[in-house]
Amino acid sequence: MRTVILGGRGFLGSTLAKRLPDVLLLGSAEVDLIQPTAVEKLRSLIREGDALVFASALTPDKGKDARTAMKNLAMGEHVSAVVESVKFSHIVYISSDAVYADDANPVRETSCASPTTLYGLMHLMRERMILVSAGKTPVMIVRLCAMYGTGDTHNSYGPNRFMRTAVKDRVIQLFGQGEEQRDHLHVNDCARLIELCLKERFIGVLNAATGKAVSFMEVAQMVAAIVGGVEVKGQPRSGPVTHRHFDITEMIKAFPLFQFTPLEDGLRALR
Amino acid sequence: MKIGFAGMSHLGIVTSAATAAKGFDVVIYGTPAMISEPGLPELLAVNQSRIKPITNPGALKDCDLVVVSLDVSTDIGNHSDLTGLRQLIAQLPPVATLVILSQVPPGFTRSLKLPNVYYQVETLIFGRAVERALHPERYMIGCANPSAPLPDSYAKWLQAFDCPILPMRYESAELAKISINMFLVSSVATTNTLAEVCEAIGADWNEIAPALRLDKRIGQHAYLSPGLGIAGGNLERDLITVRTLAEQHGTDASIVTAWLANSRYRRDWVLRKLHEHIGEPIAVWGLAYKQDTASTKNSPALALLELLKGFRVQTYDPAVKGTATSALEACADAAVLVVMTPWKEFSSYSAAQLAGKMKGRVVIDPFAMLDGQQLTADGFMYHRVGGE
Repeated sequence: MRTVILGGRGFLGSTLAKRLPDVLLLGSAEVDLIQPTAVEKLRSLIREGDALVFASALTPDKGKDARTAMKNLAMGEHVSAVVESVKFSHIVYISSDAVYADDANPVRETSCASPTTLYGLMHLMRERMILVSAGKTPVMIVRLCAMYGTGDTHNSYGPNRFMRTAVKDRVIQLFGQGEEQRDHLHVNDCARLIELCLKERFIGVLNAATGKAVSFMEVAQMVAAIVGGVEVKGQPRSGPVTHRHFDITEMIKAFPLFQFTPLEDGLRALR
Repeated sequence: MKIGFAGMSHLGIVTSAATAAKGFDVVIYGTPAMISEPGLPELLAVNQSRIKPITNPGALKDCDLVVVSLDVSTDIGNHSDLTGLRQLIAQLPPVATLVILSQVPPGFTRSLKLPNVYYQVETLIFGRAVERALHPERYMIGCANPSAPLPDSYAKWLQAFDCPILPMRYESAELAKISINMFLVSSVATTNTLAEVCEAIGADWNEIAPALRLDKRIGQHAYLSPGLGIAGGNLERDLITVRTLAEQHGTDASIVTAWLANSRYRRDWVLRKLHEHIGEPIAVWGLAYKQDTASTKNSPALALLELLKGFRVQTYDPAVKGTATSALEACADAAVLVVMTPWKEFSSYSAAQLAGKMKGRVVIDPFAMLDGQQLTADGFMYHRVGGE
């Protein structure tokens, strides 16, 4: 079975593609999903029975404003139109933990989806678009926590940026003292989870997270220890400290043998 | 005086035996449930001559008092199915006084529209049912008119047990039963919530609980032992009943939803620990939902086994059939031992005995039945709830 990956040139899409035997990778260079012409273009490239992974989105580093949100929704609209007219064997929609309320700790699949950002709201809307368009086609929604790993094209606050600045400038700058705890998922682990979802044709919602949140300070100190000779610098805090923890019981039930890459090993591989 | 019992549930068997023990003649109707209860065989042996089984419910018409003690079954969503109870009541001949002892939701007794009917709150605890039937704390009696005296036969039966009798309207009694269970659930949920905090911050719930018991507002007998959430079916049924009533009447029962979610989360505590120590075979001690009973209804152990399909699992339970013949036999070559029911006998096994049988060195013992310090000293990875 062939898997079509929209967003196939991105951080996750390209990593996932390496794990699958038969893939059609489509990035914005091949099909610009924001444009209405994407519908016909996709229809011409897709075969009945393909599995679809929709991993394409403008992430917050590209903009957190309404215009960016509307571009993302346009992608959702165009992909939904294709989903309505082509019979896929399985659809995996790559969403985000931004769909959950900020205080939903510990986040689980049944937590209230009440996004506070346009990015989260956009993903929630696109999830619904795909589910409505898919009809009886099995749909899996994978909500990602923060990802890191080799090949990250974003420069978000977290492991990848810490490693880059540690190597280049010998310094890691934290917001406040880096007290916020977050769940950091290695991109390879995320790709493995999606591969398993595809293999078993899972349906429903799965949070892709390790279940072990650590503070940005701990991540920075690990990176500093790996690189050596790096200063970790805090700065005055401008906002309140917020944490995000995941309860991954449902993931364990679905994949009891799945084990995550230890954070330290994943950070070491970034070097 | 002759007292009839219709519906030989766990509750019916124990209550009828306790009634016979107080010197009453007892007539029982219905197929007896298969139960295991400490002290029951002895109680029945001594009082068997006063207990007469009947096969025709019409024979209950000669009784001074008829007690309906059928077990009310629940569906997979823990909703009560009252069909069997209504059918049984419809089969009964006209009797002088009818007492409903079965677990019913508020509104049930009044809906029967029968004369001389009472609802009596049962507070059976599996494993302690005989003790509680012989020495009840109090009786809560739902009446059509709480200010009217109870019929002589009913009053005589209750007075034989020498405890306070509290008449109240039907709905109050029916809700009183649920209220007791709600308070127990709140204690269980609070304990488990704090036990998890203990595990996270290095505190030990076993050090905190005795201090709480000395607080009169909490009390010596409060449910302060951390565990794997609520199980057994009865507490879950009452939570669902309250949530249904809240939906019907527009009251706020969001806390009930939170308790149910908390219970589901706690039930999977063992699974989360097991995931940190994947290995086969897995030895599981205890399948019953709690100690001193063979009941496995809503048992965390069965829920765990369902999730471990595909793994080699070796089980042992002293009261549940189809398991290994001994606890140590179940441990043969096991990579991990999980203790799912706090049977007393489990605490008799030493670290050395486990080490002699198991190939792995992981023990997950939520109820702290084993000597964790000794196991840790002997090289085991040891996990319990509420502490390190």
